[in-house]
Amino acid sequence: MTQTPIERAAAATPPAIVTRVKGISDRTLAWIFVAPTIFLLLAINIFPLIWTIRLSLTNYRANRTNAEVEWVGLRNYERILTDGDIWHSMQATAHFLIWTIVLQVLIGFTLAYLINKKFKGNDLWTTIIVLPMMLSPAVVGNFWTFLYQPQIGLFNYVVSFFSGVDPSSFSMIGSVNLAPWAIVIVDTWMWTPFVMLICLAGLRSIPDYIYEAAAIDRASPWRQFWTITVPMVLPFLMLAVLFRGIENFKMFDMVTLLTGGGPGSTTELTSITLKREAFEKWRTGYSSAYAIILFVTVFGLASIYVKALNKVKER
Amino acid sequence: MTRFLNGLLRLRRGPWEMLASILIALGVVMLMQPLFLWAYTWSFLVTLTGTVMFIVVSHFPE
Amino acid sequence: MSDFSVIAATPRQKWIAGSLVVLYAVITILPLVWIVATGFKSPADAIAYPPKVVFEPTLEGYVNLFTTRSRATPETLETLGPPDSWYDRIVRQYGMVISGPSRYGERFLNSVIIGFGSTFLSVFLGTLAAYAFSRFKVPLKDDLLFFILSTRMMPPIAVAIPIFLMFRTLGLSDTHLGMILLYTAVNISLSVWLLKGFIDEIPREYEEAALIDGYTRFQAFRKVVLPQAATGIASTAIFCLIFAWNEYAFAVLLTSGTAQTAPPFIPTIIGVGKDWPAVAAGTTLFLIPVMVFTIMLRKHLLRGITFGAVRK
Repeated sequence: MTQTPIERAAAATPPAIVTRVKGISDRTLAWIFVAPTIFLLLAINIFPLIWTIRLSLTNYRANRTNAEVEWVGLRNYERILTDGDIWHSMQATAHFLIWTIVLQVLIGFTLAYLINKKFKGNDLWTTIIVLPMMLSPAVVGNFWTFLYQPQIGLFNYVVSFFSGVDPSSFSMIGSVNLAPWAIVIVDTWMWTPFVMLICLAGLRSIPDYIYEAAAIDRASPWRQFWTITVPMVLPFLMLAVLFRGIENFKMFDMVTLLTGGGPGSTTELTSITLKREAFEKWRTGYSSAYAIILFVTVFGLASIYVKALNKVKER
Repeated sequence: MTRFLNGLLRLRRGPWEMLASILIALGVVMLMQPLFLWAYTWSFLVTLTGTVMFIVVSHFPE
Repeated sequence: MSDFSVIAATPRQKWIAGSLVVLYAVITILPLVWIVATGFKSPADAIAYPPKVVFEPTLEGYVNLFTTRSRATPETLETLGPPDSWYDRIVRQYGMVISGPSRYGERFLNSVIIGFGSTFLSVFLGTLAAYAFSRFKVPLKDDLLFFILSTRMMPPIAVAIPIFLMFRTLGLSDTHLGMILLYTAVNISLSVWLLKGFIDEIPREYEEAALIDGYTRFQAFRKVVLPQAATGIASTAIFCLIFAWNEYAFAVLLTSGTAQTAPPFIPTIIGVGKDWPAVAAGTTLFLIPVMVFTIMLRKHLLRGITFGAVRK
């Protein structure tokens, strides 16, 4: 083996001194820095995921560990994808998803548009509006049950004050017709500021000279709004919609505490059904297959989200 | 439109990602629509195809 | 801005916009104000119809939140003598005696321990990874970053099944360590993405100058980059803390006693007695830290909620 003098010197020097002299190479340092994160995610996210896929092909039940586990192939998937109840819970999710997004986009965009008029004190009021967004969804769901109480609740009182309906005559969370709207209202209350903040960033990213040029061309404010403001904010809005869509598709905490999926199964969103199958009926194999279906859907939407994210980043 | 088809033929990232996104979106709509049970049954396969496709095509050149 | 500006809103427009926004802000803050107020009501006032706006404030809700009480017969009450503290006096009005502390304090403390533990870990690991992603050539960088982000998007209930089994096998269920590790794994994606954004903004020239001065790469990272990124690290930490503080799904499925955090506990306060003031008191104490943090964070809020994509 032929060695250059430098290599021989390097081999003879104790490693501690080498690192002190040269420092660790960037490549090694990069790996040392990234490895713990990747390892943690592999252990707590990817390994469980692979385990879920395995479980989804069996009839395992977590409460009967001694029972023999049978390999059932894709039968769990087949059963879920032809099950009318689960299809129904998907529709409940769709109702929740569509209405929260529509309301949040309308209100959020309007608010952002108004705040962008830069009136005095807009920072203070923005901060106040943003507060609900950061709170614990579970605790929010819990205290809204108090506001929704038929006789004593603030919500019912305010509604009756403006409409004259007897406040004890309706129960937002007890009635089959109203419960789906009860969860939409709370989610809108909580997350409109999120859409608002993103729209505001979009509005602020539009350079003034575009409007100045449009004014010189004598474009009407209405036309300016539709040809400048809306298209420029659209990528931001896309981001907000996708993110809220993903979050609400997997919504669990707020709705569980507010309605628990009831009355009947009118507000039983996918995650609530999943929890029931997995941790109350203990059909682990079956619910694992369900979890994989939800996961693939979220993962697909997340890929689109990251694409939208990069698009906004380029701005 | 011709540019889109051209991009598909030459395995460019943009149009393929668009196609995959459309598949995923279609899958999600099929999953949650209230009209046809058969669409619900096949939704998972559509979403899965779209997602796998997205992962693959995001490595195509720009 | 000149008076002839075509883009600035007229005073009239500003006034209309301002009053609409203020109206919305008042409506949106009303439920929160109501909950805080209910915490200071007596149980009778809390369920009064029409809802009471003016009431005599009392600390009953807070006393009930922190204590467990038992009913005592008039005779035993007499043998006890006069109440020796203000909270004793409140409880005695209802013919009750305090029999011990409630679980709320413990659960709150658990939230603090798990919150801070997981925040420290995820920010520590996140800073290292973010620096590597920002400055070095990491193979498959984009894929790794996407992989890290996608772990955040997973529905918690979907991963909860195997994690439940895994924790049961490893003896981690209902332990602080288990919850800290779990929340770290959830938060680390946010931490890496946010911090990468912050570190990207620090000019490379500073480190390069330090390297020429004879610093090693690691020293340059520690002595040049870290101080520069301090604000970013602090706001990332607050975001992680808020998440761990608010989390419910994992907490309710994986903890039941020793390591249970406040969110799964608060809904159980209500009990059979429908003690709304105590629930409101527990809610208020739990929400106040987050509100303070939100106000502190307002400049970085947008970054935090979009994983650092929108920087304003």
